[in-house]
Amino acid sequence: MLAVDLVGETIKALNGSMVAYDGEMTFKRQGLTGGEGLRGALKRKIAGEGMTLMEIAGKGTVFLASEATEVTLVQLAGDVLFVESESLLALDGRLQTGVQFVGLRGMGTGQGLATTKVEGQGTVAILSDGPAIALEVTPQTPLCVDPHAYVGHRGQLQQDVVTDVNWRTVIGQGSGESVQFRYQGHGLVYVQPAERGGILEI
Amino acid sequence: MSTSASDTQTWNAATLPSNDNVNAYSFSVDLNGQWFTQKGKMIAYYGQVRFEALSAGPLDALVAASFHSPLYAQDWIVAQGQGKLLLADRGFDVNSYDLDDGNLTIRAGNLLAFEPGLELKQSIIPGFLTLIGTGRFVAASNGPVHFVEPPIRVDPQALLGWADCPSPCHHYDHSYMRGAIGAARMVFGVGGASGEEHQFAFTGEGTVLMQSSEVVMNDDVLLRDLEGQIGTVGTSGLQRLHQTIAQRLAAERQS
Repeated sequence: MLAVDLVGETIKALNGSMVAYDGEMTFKRQGLTGGEGLRGALKRKIAGEGMTLMEIAGKGTVFLASEATEVTLVQLAGDVLFVESESLLALDGRLQTGVQFVGLRGMGTGQGLATTKVEGQGTVAILSDGPAIALEVTPQTPLCVDPHAYVGHRGQLQQDVVTDVNWRTVIGQGSGESVQFRYQGHGLVYVQPAERGGILEI
Repeated sequence: MSTSASDTQTWNAATLPSNDNVNAYSFSVDLNGQWFTQKGKMIAYYGQVRFEALSAGPLDALVAASFHSPLYAQDWIVAQGQGKLLLADRGFDVNSYDLDDGNLTIRAGNLLAFEPGLELKQSIIPGFLTLIGTGRFVAASNGPVHFVEPPIRVDPQALLGWADCPSPCHHYDHSYMRGAIGAARMVFGVGGASGEEHQFAFTGEGTVLMQSSEVVMNDDVLLRDLEGQIGTVGTSGLQRLHQTIAQRLAAERQS
C-alpha cells in the first residue's frame, strides 16, 4: 500500500487503485490518449501495452493499492525507467510516459513486444509480487535475469536475450532456464522474488 | 508529492550476501562450482553461470554420486560456474539449512537448491525427498517455518519436512471410515468431510518442520509416483488396475 500526501499537485495512478483518502480529492480518468498524444496512444494500442491511468489532484492523503502486491518507490532525476505497464501503480504528474518497443524480449513471457517508458523528474511507484530487489549493473558485472521475475530497469543499459536452447530443450530435457535477459552497462534492474506464469513454463 | 512506503536497498555483485538471504523471500548463492537447483527458481545472476539438465553427459558422475531420484530428475538442473545466483519461489519465505552428517526429509516442491555434498534420495512417503550428508540446502515455505517435536500429528498440507525422526505413519479418525458414507468415501475418495480426518503421525526423537499455511505446490507428484510403481506390479495386477480405472472413468462420465 502506498500513501501519498498531496498539497495541490497532481499525480497519475492506476485506474481503480485508490482504496482510501482523506481531504479533498478529485479523480479524473485520463482521456483516450492518456497524456501521450494521439501518436502515443496509437503506439500503445498497436503494442498491446494497455494501461489506464487516472489523475488525482487535491489536498490530503490518498492511499493506493493493487492486489496486495508490494510497492517500490523509484526516484527519477531526468533519467528513464522502463517498466511493464502492469507493474505501474502511480507516478508524479510531471513525469512523461510512453511506449518503447523492445523486440523479442517479451516473447514467451506473455508481456508482449513493448514496455512502458517513464521519464522526467519525480517519483514512480512500481508493483511487484513480493518486495522488489534492486540489482546494480556495472560494465564489469553484467546481470542476467529470468524474464518471469523481471519488473523494470533504469539507466544506460543494453538489453539482450541470452539463450542456450539446444536439442535437449526441444525434446523436453532442457534446463528450464534457457532464456534470460542480459543487461550490460550502467544501471539498476528490479526483480521480484516470484515468477509470473508464462508460455515457456512447464 | 511526498510519499511513504518502504525504501528499496540496492545490491550489486559484491554486496549481495554470500550463501545467505537477501530478504525473507530471496536467497543468494555464492556459486563456485556446482549446485543442484530446481527448475525455474533462478530469478537473476551475476557472473559466469551455466544451467544444465541432469541428463547432460558431463554431469553423469555428479548425478550418480548425489542424485538418486529418477522420478524428480526432470525437475532439477545443475547450476555451474562462478558468480552470485539469486533464488526465489512464488514469493514464499525462503530459508537455508545446514546439515552436518545428518538427514532431513522435505516436500519435493519446496526444496529449491542443495550443495552436491548432500545426497538426494526419494522418501518412502510420496512427494517427499530425503537429503543425507553434510552441506547446505535452501527451501521455501508459505509463511514462516515452525519447528516442533514429536509426538505430534500434522496436517499433510502443512507438513514441510522432518529431520532425524522415523518416517511418519498415516492417522485416520475412526469416524471417517465408519458407516455407509465412510464406505462410499473409501470407494470413491470423495465425500462431505471436515477435511481434517487424515494426519501424519510422528513419534520418536527428532524435529518436525511445519509451514503456517496449507498451500502446497500443485504438482503431479502423486501421479508420477503411481506411474513409477507400475513397473512393480505383474500382468494380473495391471489387468486389475485397468479394470479399476475403467470403472472410475465410467462413473466419472455418468456424474
